Amino acid sequence: MSTVPVDPAETLAVDMVDRLAPASRGFWGEAWRRYRRRPMAMIALGYVVLLTLVAIFAPAIAGTKPIAVHYKGHWYFPALGYVYREWENPIFQQDRFRQIYPKNLEKKDPESWALWPPVYQDPYRRVREDEWPGQPANPSGVAGHPNRWNLLGTTQAGIDVFAQMVHGTRVALLVGFVSMGIAATIGIVLGALAGYLGGWVDMLLSRFIELIMCIPTLVLILALIAVLEKPTIWHIMAVIGATGWTGIARLTRAEFLKLRHIDFVTAAEAVGVGQGRIMFRYILPNALAPILVPVTFGIASAILTESALSFLGVGAPPPNPSWGKLLDAARGNPLQLWWLVVFPGAAIFLAVLAYNLIGEGLQEATDPRLRGGR
Amino acid sequence: MLTYIVRRVLIGSVTLLLITVVVYALIRHMPGTPLTAAMTEMDPSKKLNPEDYERMRRAYGLDKPWYSAYFVWLGNVLRFDLGQSFAHKQPVTRVIGERLGPTLALSVSSLVLMYLLSIPLGLYSTARSGAPDERAISLLLYMLYSFPTFVAALLLQMTFAQYFDLLPLYHMHDDLEVYQQLSPAGKTWDLFKHALLPTACETYGGLAYYSRFIRANMMEVIRQDYVRTARAKGVGEARVVLVHAFRNTLIPLVTMVGLTLPSLLGGSVIIERIFVWPGIGNLFFDSITARDYPVIMCLTLVFSLLTLAGTLLADVLYAVVDPRVSYS
Repeated sequence: MSTVPVDPAETLAVDMVDRLAPASRGFWGEAWRRYRRRPMAMIALGYVVLLTLVAIFAPAIAGTKPIAVHYKGHWYFPALGYVYREWENPIFQQDRFRQIYPKNLEKKDPESWALWPPVYQDPYRRVREDEWPGQPANPSGVAGHPNRWNLLGTTQAGIDVFAQMVHGTRVALLVGFVSMGIAATIGIVLGALAGYLGGWVDMLLSRFIELIMCIPTLVLILALIAVLEKPTIWHIMAVIGATGWTGIARLTRAEFLKLRHIDFVTAAEAVGVGQGRIMFRYILPNALAPILVPVTFGIASAILTESALSFLGVGAPPPNPSWGKLLDAARGNPLQLWWLVVFPGAAIFLAVLAYNLIGEGLQEATDPRLRGGR
Repeated sequence: MLTYIVRRVLIGSVTLLLITVVVYALIRHMPGTPLTAAMTEMDPSKKLNPEDYERMRRAYGLDKPWYSAYFVWLGNVLRFDLGQSFAHKQPVTRVIGERLGPTLALSVSSLVLMYLLSIPLGLYSTARSGAPDERAISLLLYMLYSFPTFVAALLLQMTFAQYFDLLPLYHMHDDLEVYQQLSPAGKTWDLFKHALLPTACETYGGLAYYSRFIRANMMEVIRQDYVRTARAKGVGEARVVLVHAFRNTLIPLVTMVGLTLPSLLGGSVIIERIFVWPGIGNLFFDSITARDYPVIMCLTLVFSLLTLAGTLLADVLYAVVDPRVSYS
């Protein structure tokens, strides 16, 4: 490089431009700068981050298993059992703890030391009298309104609502991410193939997209869930994802149709870049912003769908705590069980609202047509 | 235009055929049959004996593999025979016909309300764009748009039906004995009271969506030169908004009518279930749990037909109201 003779005037000019113009932020930097200017969108983003933290640290917020315990000379982390059952060390089962830690720890190893979650309540079972020193048994039936020990009340069966909602956050967020991840993958791949390859591939794929769009979503979801016989929460996510990709596919197809004749694609084709590489390394990054917007809205509607399914009694199977299932428990007599309507209802509403606000912020930040004006 | 419509109808019928194949295959793969589903609800001692079970299986065509049963079903449909409901022991058309009225009562009134309220709301917020009251309305509409219907339904039941005891909690009318002794005016009043909450639930989401839609379109139009010209020559603000601007946003609004067609009959499963409303949505949910194949198939056929017809109608209307669009 240094051997090429350079016109000194040109170097000077380049130098001047470099010094005068600030470094380009790039598309996403610019989008983030615009996004940050929208207070509602930022609040929504903060709220989703908060929810994520709650979901991750749920076992450390509400639970009946200690976060960390020094027992018979070893350290254990039984609270991880809430995340995945196998992660709860079998020693506590062998020592016949029967899920009641406080008394058994003291009885079986007086030297033991434990770090407890701030709220001693379980999302899966009713806490009984004096399980935790001085804490009464959870009330059941219509007597379970919010009180000192059950911040958001209990269900008819006496299971704490706060604990269920904290642990249910994990389900709600996972449903949003996993199902939209599936939907986005299917939608982007099919849309890209249809838009880039065109011809009979486009013809076939477009008919297929139309076919799925015309089948009533609820028929599809209910039938698929019924076919699965014993659906887990992961099945529900897969079903929501497998039925929610058509909008994304159509949008991706339209973007690819627009971009495939632009010079940089033609140039890449001329150089002999493979088709897959052109589709996913060259075109996709340029089409990503408009695709991301419906994906965000899709997360909101996936959360809504999951809670609606749980509410209808076809959602996640019983042990999984879910916001929608709490609401379902209030059906028939909402006034007497008002805490089962208000708190889970607010949680669903706020999560959906947050994702919708983020989607709108994203749209305004990345769509050049919406810039300026105000 | 005509060739376009003919082509779309032909493609649409192929799509429709494929939809019925997919749905038929799906529901036949759901575990259990209408016979076993009905049996589990009855007490177990009344179990069908194996010979009866076998006889009924043959009578209903459940012994055939799904694809041959599908062709039997298709042949019957082409001869305008939609079959008998397993659960109701009546022709499917009659079962669905009975549920049509209640669902239409809800969906038509909510659709009318939606248009009646969203147009003035949208126009008002355009005219007052940026003012504090407009900001408040926009925020409220945005929140309503994200508000889950089932939460809204429970909250409405809590306040109006239980706390203030003004309206009934659910059902379409009072107990049948009481209801039948009412005068026609009394019956109407009774139905009205029962329909109020479900209609409100079905309306508010769409209302928020449409008002925002109208406002977004209006904001685009209001910046145009001809609107500025109208203002410059001294046309009053009301006339500018209504006559000059609004008329030009009618195009997307008209095409939306076509897209609402399926929701008109589809009803809302969730709302009908919460309010125990004897409509299509409830029927649909029950038929899936009861494995009532003929009813599910007929409803799927109707929904898909309406969806296809709705999109076609939207596209045709688009060409009718906008002379710049042509499909030739």
